[in-house]
Amino acid sequence: MASSGSFSSGAGLTTLNRSSQPRLAVGCRVREGEDGVGALLLPEGVLRLKGTAIDILRLCDGRRTYAEILAEMQGRYQSADPKQMEQEIESFLNRLQQRRVIDF
Amino acid sequence: MATPPLALIAELTHRCPLHCVYCSNPLQLRANSEELPTGVWTQVLEQAAKLGMFHVHLTGGEPLARSDLNSLVSVAHSLQLYTNLITSGIGMNEKKLASLLAAGLDHLQLSFQDAEESSADRVAGVPVHARKVALANLIHECKNLAFTVNLVVHRHNLDRLDSMILFAESLGPQRIEIANVQYYGWALKNREWLLPTREQVQRSVVIVERAQERLKGQVKIDFVTPDYYASFPKPCMGGWGRQLMLVDPSGMVLPCHAAAVIPGIDFENVREKPLSWIWEESASFRRFRGEDWMPEPCRSCDRRALDFGGCRCQAFLITGDAAATDPVCSLAPTRKLIDERLARANSVTNPGYRSAPAPESADPWTYRSQPA
Repeated sequence: MASSGSFSSGAGLTTLNRSSQPRLAVGCRVREGEDGVGALLLPEGVLRLKGTAIDILRLCDGRRTYAEILAEMQGRYQSADPKQMEQEIESFLNRLQQRRVIDF
Repeated sequence: MATPPLALIAELTHRCPLHCVYCSNPLQLRANSEELPTGVWTQVLEQAAKLGMFHVHLTGGEPLARSDLNSLVSVAHSLQLYTNLITSGIGMNEKKLASLLAAGLDHLQLSFQDAEESSADRVAGVPVHARKVALANLIHECKNLAFTVNLVVHRHNLDRLDSMILFAESLGPQRIEIANVQYYGWALKNREWLLPTREQVQRSVVIVERAQERLKGQVKIDFVTPDYYASFPKPCMGGWGRQLMLVDPSGMVLPCHAAAVIPGIDFENVREKPLSWIWEESASFRRFRGEDWMPEPCRSCDRRALDFGGCRCQAFLITGDAAATDPVCSLAPTRKLIDERLARANSVTNPGYRSAPAPESADPWTYRSQPA
């Protein structure tokens, strides 16, 4: 394992688990749009986010656990297949972590 | 109507304590006396926010040379703009950093000329490397500030890319940007010295990929490849007048850093016209927007929506015609002009082949000057 001591807080080789508390990484923030479309502002640009993506990011407040985020989303979208939803959310959060957008 | 721009590049000043041989500022630097006052910059920021822009990139020259930097960050922040400071770090100290953070600075990009002090200082033309390293340590302590280390790479440091990445990592950023020199402004003047060899470029791609894999999830590495070695042009600025507006120190509004070199276009000034009018109505921003201006082979090319015909400034600087296909494109009728340059860069008789010129060299490179 590479020395993580010299890296900024939050950067590490952790993996997402049920008790992880995802939060937006430093330098990343969500800006609400007028039309319900959110924008994720990053140091190098902007990602436009729609629908569930922005919902999930709003829940990544560093307090809620991954399990709580999942329960919240599954509660909101009861017609969706919970297993499939979990896979999608997990892969979304992992991709964002690799881009240094969220920390666990 | 044009889609709103995403970001404002605020080139606050052309004053800079460094003299980097690849500076992207124009050769015609704006004088101190031409600089916009704080009140006009404040209006520009208000107009940018109203237009729907997300980011403001505060740059220069060295933006820390402006005594009103802190209040401009504060204004931008209050307008919900994401504030990014692009700096050499010279002029920063602990107190200034703390007040920029309090004003709402979101992100700081600190540039390094090399990992080795003597090489870095030779490129910058002044001994500043050690001070930058000290500053990076201060920045790393600021847990609420996102930090990018920018490394500019070229013929004289690409062979040390591995150790440069280790150096950048040791400074503790969230992001490392490795940017090959792009040939505009002062860099074009020094192209003979700076253009890397094909072998260097090929090796660097592998080194960057390995580092990206190794640092996945810890440090994001972005890599700007050298377009002379590409088969297709870069989508410069995301297309002319499609995403970005740059305001130069005098208030001239450009679609990119270099466009003022293109003759026959009257660029507007923020002292006379609002940004929204310039974006939507001005002839300068409409000049190369969309596809109507395109010559063949771009006009019928499948890639035209990906690269927008490449860079207009590069087309002008190399072919003399800003409306030509970007000459780096393998389909461009003028690609041979690039290939001739590459042949020289890869020839052992090139004067820059082994080492960067010493200051006392008979045929030195040209250091960026200072504005009047």
